[in-house]
Amino acid sequence: MISFNQVTKRYPGGHEALSGINLTIDAGELVFLIGHSGAGKSTLLKLIAAIERPTSGVVSVSGQNVSRLSHRAIPYLRRNIGLVFQDHKLLFDRNVIENVVLPLDIAGLDRREALKRARAVIDKVGLLKREKANPISLSGGEQQRLCIARALVSRPALLLADEPTGNLDAGYAADIMAMFRDFHQVGTTLVIATHDDRAITALGGRTLRLDHGKIQEVAA
Amino acid sequence: MIGWLRHQKHALTAALHRLRAQPVATLLTALAMGVAISLPSGLYLGLGHLGRLAGELPAQPEISVYLDAGVSAVQKQAIAARLKQPDIALARYVPKDEALATLSASQDLADITAGLTQNPLPDAWVVRPQASSREALARVADDLGKLPGVAETHLDSQWADRLQAALGFGRTGVWLLAGLFAIALVAISGNAIRAQVLVRRDEIHVSRLIGATDRYIRRPFLYLGALQGLLGGLAAGGVLAVAGAILRTPVERLAGLYGSAFHLLPPTGIEIAAVLGLTTLFGWLGAWLSVTRALQQVEAAR
Repeated sequence: MISFNQVTKRYPGGHEALSGINLTIDAGELVFLIGHSGAGKSTLLKLIAAIERPTSGVVSVSGQNVSRLSHRAIPYLRRNIGLVFQDHKLLFDRNVIENVVLPLDIAGLDRREALKRARAVIDKVGLLKREKANPISLSGGEQQRLCIARALVSRPALLLADEPTGNLDAGYAADIMAMFRDFHQVGTTLVIATHDDRAITALGGRTLRLDHGKIQEVAA
Repeated sequence: MIGWLRHQKHALTAALHRLRAQPVATLLTALAMGVAISLPSGLYLGLGHLGRLAGELPAQPEISVYLDAGVSAVQKQAIAARLKQPDIALARYVPKDEALATLSASQDLADITAGLTQNPLPDAWVVRPQASSREALARVADDLGKLPGVAETHLDSQWADRLQAALGFGRTGVWLLAGLFAIALVAISGNAIRAQVLVRRDEIHVSRLIGATDRYIRRPFLYLGALQGLLGGLAAGGVLAVAGAILRTPVERLAGLYGSAFHLLPPTGIEIAAVLGLTTLFGWLGAWLSVTRALQQVEAAR
């Protein structure tokens, strides 16, 4: 589903976040990316979602060469990818359900159908009682669950999560990880960047360690 | 197609929502636009009234048609028949005796005419053509000059020329002003939209991350600009209506003193539609320029 072939990413200023990465992730896999901060985890995720472009090498997702995708084609790639951010990136000028419905609005789905699906996903992450609330009134854990709901509402085959439990205490973190396990079980491909070792041992799955722009498999 | 319509409806709703959310800013922008537009529109209306007033004035351009001294009765009849055609509004026959009598009646010339032993003046027609444009007048004069029995024609076109030149100057001025204020309109709209884009930076950023096309992002702003322009056009209508209400009484009084029933007329439906359409268009254009530029900046800043 995802493959990296000799991918190098150098930022302006000379910092090399990734150097000559080779990597294949199959459909339905659950992959953890670990490594100290600045090791290139975020960069790797951004390359998959075409938020950044590689300096050299080829990144492909579902057979599409993402690194050479045109500006116009990028939105359609992203509609098939759910993104979960450490800082949630919620919109505070609208309530919970409007946040979740946004990807479906963008995709041009019928409004009533969109609301129905949004409500189902909100229910799944346990926020149905708060659907009219403003996200700013939610706790950190609830905000992260909302972010996940928004990432999942368009039923993407691939979910990318960058430090999804980074700001959360242990209880909330376990909650979120349990949710990811459920999605993995229904066949979603997940790539999760984290430094939370507890989560990894709890869920199993494949673990990749990034260190100074190099990648290596970690034996289970 | 259905998805496209859905997007349009969604964008329009969002734009209306944003306008309602900021009533004061919306009102101020509409007023700024309204005042800017009311200037050229008001001038245009004023010019129209001047043109109408000029049409009502008695001093119409006239053509004097002088007949040959030896003109035959048949020729005279043919000329009279020609002057009954629809391109002639009015034709008055001035026999030479009457012309001489008129001339003698004026004090300055009485001495000269008293010394004449015979009448040197020809019979003449004073003709007022239907058209008043310079070209049309010249054409009619030329035409009449070719009739058998006509010695010469004299076109008193100076007055018409001057009026035409003045109106033409006014019209050019209106278009020039309209062009300038259209630019102002684009600038006002662009500025208002730029502020909106800045406020919505986060939304734009997030929408892009979850697969929004530039078109999707741009659309509500374009509707916003167009609606703002429409409101500006309506505000201009309001400004002009108030100005018209204030000016009506003094204008009618002034006209009354000249014995004229002249009064201010409201603009026609087509004129109103044209102004509203143009302001909407220029509001849209300003929004397009502004949001496209802002999107490029957001892109570059990422």
